[in-house]
Amino acid sequence: EIHTNEKEVTEKEVTLHLLPGEQLLCEASTVLKYVQEDSCQHGVYGRLVCTDFKIAFLGDDESALDNDETQFKNKVVGENDITLHCVDQIYGVFDEKKKTLFGQLKKYPEKLIIHCKDLRVFQFCLRYTKEEEVKRIVSGIIHHTQAPKLLKRLFLFSYATAAQNNTVTDPKNHTIMFDTLKDWCWELERTKGNMKYKAVSVNEGYKVCERLPAYFVVPTPLPEENVQRFQGHGIPIWCWSCHNGSALLKMSALPKEQDDGILQIQKSFLDGVYKTIHRPPYEIVKTEDLSSNFLSLQEIQTAYSKFKQLFLIDNSTEFWDTDIKWFSLLESSSWLDIIRRCLKKAIEITECMEAQNMNVLLLEENASDLCCLISSLVQMMMDPHCRTRIGFQSLIQKEWVMGGHCFLDRCNHLRQNDKEEVPVFLLFLDCVWQLVHQHPPAFEFTETYLTVLSDSLYIPIFSTFFFNSPHQKDTNMHQRQLSLPLTQSKSSPKRGFFREETDHLIKNLLGKRISKLINSSDELQDNFREFYDSWHGKPTDYHGLLLPHIEGPEIKVWAQRYLRWIPEAQILGGGRVATMSKLLEMMEEVQSLQEKIDERHHSQQAPQAEAPCLLRNSARLSSLFPFALLQRHSSKPVLPTSGWKALGDEDDLAKREDEFVDLGDV
Amino acid sequence: MPPRVTFQPCGWQQNQDTPLSSEYDFALVNIGRLEAVSSLSRVQLLRPGSLLKFIPEEIMIHGRDFRLLRVGFEAGGLEPQAFQVTMAIVQARAQSNPAQQYSGITLSKTGQGSGSRKPPVPLMETAEDWETERKKQAARGWRVSTVNERFDVATSLPRYFWVPNRILDNEVRRAFGHFHQGRGPRLSWHHPGGSDLLRCGGFYTASDPNKEDIRAVESMLQAGHSDVVLVDTMDELPNLADVQLAHLRLRALCLPDSSVAEDKWLSALEGTRWLDYIRACLRKASDISVLVTSRVRSVILQERGDRDLNGLLSSLVQLLSAPEARTLFGFQSLVQREWVAAGHPFLTRLGGTGASEEAPVFLLFLDCVWQLLQQFPADFEFSEFFLLALHDSVRVPDTLTFLRNTPWERGKQSRQLNSYTQVYTPGYSQAPAGNSFNLQLSVWDWDLRYSNAQILQFQNPGYDPEHCPDSWLPRPQPSFMIPGPPSSVWLFSRGALTPLNQLCPWRDSPSLLAVSSRWLPRPAISSESLADQEWGLPSHWGACPLPPGLLLPGYLGPQIRFWRRCYLRGRPEVQMGLSSPTISGLQDELSHLQELLQKWTPRISPEVHSKDPHTILNPTEIVGILKGQFHPFWITRC
Repeated sequence: EIHTNEKEVTEKEVTLHLLPGEQLLCEASTVLKYVQEDSCQHGVYGRLVCTDFKIAFLGDDESALDNDETQFKNKVVGENDITLHCVDQIYGVFDEKKKTLFGQLKKYPEKLIIHCKDLRVFQFCLRYTKEEEVKRIVSGIIHHTQAPKLLKRLFLFSYATAAQNNTVTDPKNHTIMFDTLKDWCWELERTKGNMKYKAVSVNEGYKVCERLPAYFVVPTPLPEENVQRFQGHGIPIWCWSCHNGSALLKMSALPKEQDDGILQIQKSFLDGVYKTIHRPPYEIVKTEDLSSNFLSLQEIQTAYSKFKQLFLIDNSTEFWDTDIKWFSLLESSSWLDIIRRCLKKAIEITECMEAQNMNVLLLEENASDLCCLISSLVQMMMDPHCRTRIGFQSLIQKEWVMGGHCFLDRCNHLRQNDKEEVPVFLLFLDCVWQLVHQHPPAFEFTETYLTVLSDSLYIPIFSTFFFNSPHQKDTNMHQRQLSLPLTQSKSSPKRGFFREETDHLIKNLLGKRISKLINSSDELQDNFREFYDSWHGKPTDYHGLLLPHIEGPEIKVWAQRYLRWIPEAQILGGGRVATMSKLLEMMEEVQSLQEKIDERHHSQQAPQAEAPCLLRNSARLSSLFPFALLQRHSSKPVLPTSGWKALGDEDDLAKREDEFVDLGDV
Repeated sequence: MPPRVTFQPCGWQQNQDTPLSSEYDFALVNIGRLEAVSSLSRVQLLRPGSLLKFIPEEIMIHGRDFRLLRVGFEAGGLEPQAFQVTMAIVQARAQSNPAQQYSGITLSKTGQGSGSRKPPVPLMETAEDWETERKKQAARGWRVSTVNERFDVATSLPRYFWVPNRILDNEVRRAFGHFHQGRGPRLSWHHPGGSDLLRCGGFYTASDPNKEDIRAVESMLQAGHSDVVLVDTMDELPNLADVQLAHLRLRALCLPDSSVAEDKWLSALEGTRWLDYIRACLRKASDISVLVTSRVRSVILQERGDRDLNGLLSSLVQLLSAPEARTLFGFQSLVQREWVAAGHPFLTRLGGTGASEEAPVFLLFLDCVWQLLQQFPADFEFSEFFLLALHDSVRVPDTLTFLRNTPWERGKQSRQLNSYTQVYTPGYSQAPAGNSFNLQLSVWDWDLRYSNAQILQFQNPGYDPEHCPDSWLPRPQPSFMIPGPPSSVWLFSRGALTPLNQLCPWRDSPSLLAVSSRWLPRPAISSESLADQEWGLPSHWGACPLPPGLLLPGYLGPQIRFWRRCYLRGRPEVQMGLSSPTISGLQDELSHLQELLQKWTPRISPEVHSKDPHTILNPTEIVGILKGQFHPFWITRC
């Protein structure tokens, strides 16, 4: 799929690979890219280019790595490529001082530091670059990464237009997209939810609202005109059904009103709606209001921005300085605590459904942030199908993409509103990682899959994570008219999640209805404890209900994602990869024995899965595999900074030889 | 039988294959805290000598080794016994005094049928042991010195140790006199590439050695190398009080009723500083490994007492540089040599004498090893369970290994014990006279306390020695290493090498090792190539940037982990999934499938059978044992 634009190839320089539709915008030569771990500020000379898709550095001395590991390289984004959407912050260094760069610059920096959203850090020295080129490349990069953008200018569209005929869907990919009525019916059948719930096409063509998908599922007794009444608000939308018949539902809140008359109307409307899912003693519903008494998006945003700073390291010295306080810094970011709260909430809901046989209704203003997160987590824990790769992808498609999670805003792809940028989806992946880490055999996929998935949030050649709603995607992708006015982002109802006050109206209305059903909070805690303890007291059935541990020491840092670019974190020949070959060998043996047994049963042979032979051959991979290549440099033991003095040039060294020789960087 | 509390589950039989059951056994010294719980959830903390205020429904014994024993007394006529048992424990604790605790040992089972029983691991108490080990390491320039055979050089030193060939015993004796407590320089380990790792105590500054003595000291330190690096072991590492305080804090944090909120756990953990100390040890060991590997030189670990951190660092360096030390046998030999024989004062450090200077340096070492195990899961033959068993053994007064401060005391005791055994143990076949050492039991006699199924768990299923292509070859590889500069002496401190003008500190001593200050270890091409050279990266090592067999551990904050299965084993969540689930799960499946296949085919094809030696074990059985039995937590009510 990767095409080389022949025009760009000059004789000596390294080829710039361009994707279909990708255009070179500006470039600068004799840029020095620092090798990060090298404190003597060594680097590689090369060309820094900026296209409408990425920033790329092309080293002059790109000695082709015929390392085995190169076959694990990312096909779209190379080692020195940064997609424009992946850029988090840009800093300039002026006379040793580091400043954030934005807008129009009066002075151009001698050094450019780019922090990426996947936590890579790049440092480019511009001292040897022609002044004109510096101006062009710096302002180009700043403009294309920081300035607010229009949706139609997303690279996605140029790529889609150019690569129109190249897209071949993998026939093996059975991910359910949930964009047809059939998909929903299939899911209802799979979970045996079709007794009480029905798929509706009332929103076909987005007639009712643009927030909801064209097809979704509601309780069977719910009249379809109810959906239209408040543009899909106040309607319980089905997520999933448990084997015991209890269901997980979500609802976006009704608009807030001051007027008593309207309030009355809303109340009686909700009363009616509730009867469809709450029919004691046959069916009881418990409401979880995720807009209050739970996490706020503001908290998630603050926590993550603190947390990521722990990994965005400009130089080793800085890293060692913070390293000593690692645990308290980690704790003060509260990111791990937020993960714990999400997992706990999901376990509580699981308990209601599994142990108490209750329907659970998740409530949130637009039902498109924490609703997506919690409902997906509950399904990961309760439904083993979601722990297969296809099942997991289908789940993301169902709860996040069709669930109307505003990827465009939450990832801030258009740079229009920094306040809306909240890593809710990443938080979800981190929660899933905790599950995968604690119970690896329960999952078909590994942490590497999750890491790669988290990276694809910033690669605008997949449309999945680049829209706020299926409607927005359909209108933009299908018609692909670049003149289409961007009404969507304005017409969508306000997503004011950053308000402090809770939604009293909904709380009261619902609170009255269900107050008698809710136990006192102490009792709730007891139920939770009992459920949690008794599950963990039994041997784990990886094909059944799966609960995570949430005690203090059990929530961990997703080291692969957050530490993979830090050379100091590399353990040569160590880490989990080290046992991989042994594992593969045993898997092969299991498989061959399985086949022998199958032969005896005259059943069909299982297709032989070929294990990547590289893993078996290469003796010592890095613990950061497949993200970091083995580098000679990084194998240097890093010495403590306390005695650290960067030695200058050779003369300097010779002068000092009598008193002091520093092992660190001589 | 030393005083202990033991719990016998229903159906438990004395026979078993473990004469001393380990599972529910709590030596009185190991009891850190005793609590009685009544039905009204009243809890009384019972100190030695306190009076029980109610009839307990449950007693909880918190071990100093982080174990927890909960015994419930079921209602229905058991009340008087419950009271009696509890009071008996309280009184026994009050009466017991540390010195008594170590006097008795049962040897009944072991002697049977093995008159000349060989210890599972060489105890390094005979000259033969030392000679065998010397040959194994191919340390040609070294010999076994018998100068301390009567412990008259130092009681804390072993009877035998290695000194350079050229040095005569009387020179050794004189040279050692100038070191703290007579602990002069001895070889710890000879690197196959030619370097030597030495350890010694601090220079005895008050002494006034003559020229000859200085010459002897210097040539012992130099060990025939022109490049000498003196490592100040205590620099940047915690002192004994630090280690002890950190360990106390850690234990307080890990008590089941520790009041630390979940979201404050990390900072509480950081506050103990235990992990900080671990990482300091790993960092230093990693640096020293590079020093030993990168050039042919003599690296001397110097600690004032030479009995604590020297042992820790020297063991860690060997674990990092020698694949041999990472086998089960190699590791046990290593501990026996560098800790037990080298005179680590176990009794004092583990609080056995009640004196000050208690500091669990050895437990700190075990945690460091565990970290390595986590980071390099395929490089160690032993498993986490082995380390746990070793961790739990240090306070079990069954064998002498950890119960004495010096080899001299241990030797004295074991001679006494041998005579006890011969008198008191019926059915014991008389050992040949003069072979008394063969009778000594050590902690390495695992079958005394662990069942076979448990011992099988000491093997790491993920061990893959093929993983390092060049496995351990004890041969000199001169091409491999660059010789050091002529006559250079360095001090390694704070992560940097500083040239030293003289090796010994005695004033006005005419140092024979004049450091040529103009010499710089650098081919003067570029500063980068020097770094590569110093750090052991000659280009001919090829694509693999590290010499085979060398492990460089990570020691960043995020890489140092908390040993849950050791410190939190009182918690139920830690009990589950004790083994690395994937590999052992696969082994399960493998043996299950093989069984199935075997049932169907009476004559199984040989290649299936011989493919994986590990599958000969029956993992299903082991997994069953692991869930809750290995370490007592769930106690059936009786």
